[in-house]
Amino acid sequence: MRRCKRPFRQVAMAIVYVAGMLLACATTAVADEPAALLDDVARIEVYPTQVKLESARRAMHLVVTGVNAAGQTRDLTDIATFESTNAAVAKFEHGVVRPIADGAADIRVTVCGKETLVPVEVLGQAAREPVSFQYGALVALSKQGCNSGACHGSPSGKGGFRLSLRAYDAALDIYTLTQEDHQRRVNLLEPANSLVLQKPTMAVTHGGGQKLQASDPAYALLHDWIAEGGRVDAPESPRCVRIEVYPPERTLHYPATTQQVIALAHFSDGSVRDITDVAVYSSSDEAVATADVRGKVQAKDRGEAAILVRYLEHMETSRMTFLRDVEGFAWNDPKENNFVDQHVFDKLRLMQILPSDLCTDDEFIRRAHLDVVGELPTPEETRSFLADPNPWKRSQLIDALLERPEYSQFWALKWGDLLKLGNKRVSQAGVHKFHHWLVSAVARNMPYDEFARELLTASGSTFANPAANYYRTATDTNECTETTSQVFLGVRIQCAKCHNHPFERWTQDNYYGIGAFFHRVARKSGSVPDELVVFASRSGEIVQPRTGKQMPPWLPLTGDAQVPDDEDRRQAFAEWLTRPENPFFARVAVNRIWGHLMGRGIVEPVDDFRDSNPPANAPLLDALAEDFAAHGFDWKHTLRTILNSRTYQLSSRTNAFNAQDVKYSSHTATRLQTAEQLLDAICQVTGVPEKYPGLPAGIRATQLPSPDVDHPFLKTFGQPARETACQCERGADSNLSQALQLINGPLVHAKLKDEHNRFRNLVAAGKSDRAIVTELYLAAFSRPPSEQELAVADRHIAASGDRLAALEDLCWAVINANEFLFQH
Amino acid sequence: MRHFLSLIPVAALWVSPSFAADVSFKNEIAPILAARCAGCHGGAEAKAGYRVNSFAAMLSPGETESDPVTAGDPDASYLLELIESDDADARMPKESEALPAAQMALIRRWIEEGAKFDGPDAKAALQSYLPQVTHAAPPEAYRFAMPITAVAISPNGQEIAASGYHEITIWSAADGKLLRRIQNVAERTLGLAFSADGSMLAAAGGAPGVSGELRVYNPADGALLREVGRFADTAFAVTFNPDGTKLAVSGADRAIHVYQVADWSEATTIEDHADWVTAIAFSPDGARIASGSRDKTSKLFDVATGDALATYPNYGDAVYGVAFSADGAQVIAGGRAGRLDFWNAADGVRAAEIGVGGEIQRVLAAGGQIFTVASDSHARQFKADDRAAVRTYAGHSDRLQSAAFDAAANRLVTGSINGEVRVWNTADGTQVTSFIAAPGLVTETAQVQAAAK
Repeated sequence: MRRCKRPFRQVAMAIVYVAGMLLACATTAVADEPAALLDDVARIEVYPTQVKLESARRAMHLVVTGVNAAGQTRDLTDIATFESTNAAVAKFEHGVVRPIADGAADIRVTVCGKETLVPVEVLGQAAREPVSFQYGALVALSKQGCNSGACHGSPSGKGGFRLSLRAYDAALDIYTLTQEDHQRRVNLLEPANSLVLQKPTMAVTHGGGQKLQASDPAYALLHDWIAEGGRVDAPESPRCVRIEVYPPERTLHYPATTQQVIALAHFSDGSVRDITDVAVYSSSDEAVATADVRGKVQAKDRGEAAILVRYLEHMETSRMTFLRDVEGFAWNDPKENNFVDQHVFDKLRLMQILPSDLCTDDEFIRRAHLDVVGELPTPEETRSFLADPNPWKRSQLIDALLERPEYSQFWALKWGDLLKLGNKRVSQAGVHKFHHWLVSAVARNMPYDEFARELLTASGSTFANPAANYYRTATDTNECTETTSQVFLGVRIQCAKCHNHPFERWTQDNYYGIGAFFHRVARKSGSVPDELVVFASRSGEIVQPRTGKQMPPWLPLTGDAQVPDDEDRRQAFAEWLTRPENPFFARVAVNRIWGHLMGRGIVEPVDDFRDSNPPANAPLLDALAEDFAAHGFDWKHTLRTILNSRTYQLSSRTNAFNAQDVKYSSHTATRLQTAEQLLDAICQVTGVPEKYPGLPAGIRATQLPSPDVDHPFLKTFGQPARETACQCERGADSNLSQALQLINGPLVHAKLKDEHNRFRNLVAAGKSDRAIVTELYLAAFSRPPSEQELAVADRHIAASGDRLAALEDLCWAVINANEFLFQH
Repeated sequence: MRHFLSLIPVAALWVSPSFAADVSFKNEIAPILAARCAGCHGGAEAKAGYRVNSFAAMLSPGETESDPVTAGDPDASYLLELIESDDADARMPKESEALPAAQMALIRRWIEEGAKFDGPDAKAALQSYLPQVTHAAPPEAYRFAMPITAVAISPNGQEIAASGYHEITIWSAADGKLLRRIQNVAERTLGLAFSADGSMLAAAGGAPGVSGELRVYNPADGALLREVGRFADTAFAVTFNPDGTKLAVSGADRAIHVYQVADWSEATTIEDHADWVTAIAFSPDGARIASGSRDKTSKLFDVATGDALATYPNYGDAVYGVAFSADGAQVIAGGRAGRLDFWNAADGVRAAEIGVGGEIQRVLAAGGQIFTVASDSHARQFKADDRAAVRTYAGHSDRLQSAAFDAAANRLVTGSINGEVRVWNTADGTQVTSFIAAPGLVTETAQVQAAAK
């Protein structure tokens, strides 16, 4: 089909929505000015406060913190002086306390005229502590990145040398290091000539480049481990139980811009070992702060970042906040509607970001409709809302929208995505039954804990009890583990199926430990075609494929769970999951709601909770989760709370202090409507509904039970095929085929040409040009046109000579305007 | 402590003539290229498609299509531009220290003087004509036993040669007493073979990742008779052909080299495998050679022409050992899969298999018997005619790496990764003797005691 080219003039004439002027925020490139840090130090703190060095191999970093009268902290480690009171027992050099001989000493720390003593106990100097394979050699290989996914940690290794990804499989690593290929990689007699040292130092050419220097702590660990025979650790050797990071959190005010972070490993023998030099550091936001190989954090800009510290399978974070006064910033004390605003504004004030003004009523009615019922308000609804003088009309509208049937349809769509509802997995009959179940659950505002329990513990026929489809769309134990983790725990645990998660604390044992809860779910065919019966069997254990060990049911942060054999393990899981104090359940739920309403989760992506992806506003997330649990996991209550907040109702127009902000909800984020919303909106503006084969007339895209209608427009705009339980499957990227659909696509074209579309009906009814244009504006933008816009329309219609064609042009321009396409 | 690495540049300097004489490619440039460039620009997967593994390759441009060397004009030589670059990101060797100024100057002068080639063959591997090195001495007393990666039995059945560290040790087959230590040997020895008359002991090995070599010694007095070949990485397997006229070696250079014993010239070079060639065996008539590779295949070649005759692609994992059936009709391959596959030399099809277990490290076939040694510390014996298991030799406590069989004397020798060698009587399965092939091994207790003093 062909369509005439429309002159760009007309497009320009269409009211291009300006999302907000991009005012350059005074970017804070921070510089270090140590002198200014020293003026007002009121006291100093040294960590650790005491040191015990239990062998010649141990040493300990000390971190010195200065605190001024206002309670602000700064890192003085680099400028403090350290002196041992007994140099025969312990010395201090290169930032660490080192043992000399058994005995006691103090390290005297002096800075800014303040002094502190750190007692040091030295013992075990006569004995020889061998370098551990696990905590020496494997830590060294991890530190240098040898076993990273891009290098020898890839499944097939590199250059014939394969290590397990970040040392998750010590058995494989000891084999490739000391046994495979005639022990060619280590040289026990001349350790420095070992290939595993010669290659990364480039003494022998190495495809991966120079990754190690003889002066690195990792070199000494590897070298000494080889020199001692390259052996595995004795089974009774102490094991690392947990690691500790200091400082766990810190706020630095400019000009304080650096912080030494230290890492300590707590071992099963009670010892605490300094692992600062061999732990691996990374930053959750490199634009805010970076961490070097020795744990020194450097601010790059004001903001927040989590410094992640990894040591084999252990991981901890140090949360850093860097503040700097912004010139001209003055808090304007916006009104707080509820606790949401309190937490958001606390953060904004701290970060010196000024919130935008309140949005207008027309912006609000459009926004609230799209978010709650998934569709635009009608011109009539908009007119009556704008005319309503009631000061509580926004709250009233929120309450009214939450009771509309479209609300439950729209949220059933979102659940259908996450639960992978579609013909392929649950059959056409199953789709309708499960969809109906979801719509009813949302409609009666089923408490979220009950909703989760219903799904997770469902048994019986998927036709009689549609909730059992949870175990039909997740077809095996692993898929149950992955779906449940992602949907209810906000954890993308898939990586741990084959190896310990490379960046997070999730291990392969954890994956199969969670799997143990679902391993006894059994499925059999029902009595009618396409029916499946789900039931819990009384036996069956899951085996971790790498170790061959049978895994007991395991709960995050709780540990192994004892479940009697006559009990359905899923009950135990659901019971744990829905406890009000469960740290995952409510947080993930409120974060999904927040992400839906605000366009970006407090944790973003909304189902990717991990230490390396900290929440933008942890107190807000906590408060929302607590409030949600305290109100009986009432989904509508939380929606209502957020919708009524000033934060939700802020304008998308930015000011000089918040234009750069994307994290802290200082203004509304504009976003393209979802595929279904957009299709429904086009239908509404043109007044021509879409028909879907096999479904009743009048059904909207947001009410479709599954994507099986195979609609090209919906696919182009990112409707998910529901293959995974990941929110990310819904495409959010804009692309060329979307532009083509809108400019020249068959759907838009047919609706513009329809003999009974909105503007033709208005013409037929004898409406004036201005009345028709006003109606189009109300339908598409939920506001009347301005006088200037009306004048432009008048001129276009007058110049065209063909009224219908000119109105069609106008309608086309409206559909292609950002103000229409975007939610704002 | 180790001097091998430094030996290459030292040798280069030692042979450096005075400034008056022209720079020698063979003696001065080739050692630099081999040590600093060939690691990335050596093999088939050379970076940027540029190889410096031979003189001819060095002159041929890589992907950039800039002439690496313009004879007489150093400033128009891209190779030199990259080596001399001030930009550490662009400079070669990549992500490494720059070449010492003296070496840069040497290369510049060699190009100025016309970039002349003074080696034997422009297409031959650089290593083949690098100055011969004298290897470091073995340790007086071993702190740790080295893996026994190679063993061989002398034709008279009296002596056992075993791999050491910079040495080959010779032991009495009857009582395990140390008889002699052969020196001037590469760091590791991975293959050993006696000539039929016992006058020669061929040793394949090298320094892992650095160089490989094939040398022939007089086993009686340890004299180095000949350095037969030099390679970019270690050589793994070595064997004489049945009539003793040829010597074949295979290695990490992915090639099989066949030499004429009469004049030590290289008769055939077979470059067909995609990864290390870990094992080779001559057919009983000496006309064909079978190979096993880390590329998970076993192959068969014509010795005279080097042509590939058959490929067995179905082993499924790295192949570490190959042998021929007595009639030459089948190749027996074993390796990481822990399985012995018998495949037809005629068509490359599997005829039979035996599940063995562990990772098979060596396969031997002679005297109607087949032997395997594996990572599960067991050696196993099968009858060649019906493939029935004869017995399992248990006693080693660690992975087995090497084996040799003397059919006439009914002796099997096995070597373990922990340094232990055992000698077995294959007639009755009894153990004849055992020893740790690490002269003067200082036990750990003794080391700790010494350290305490």
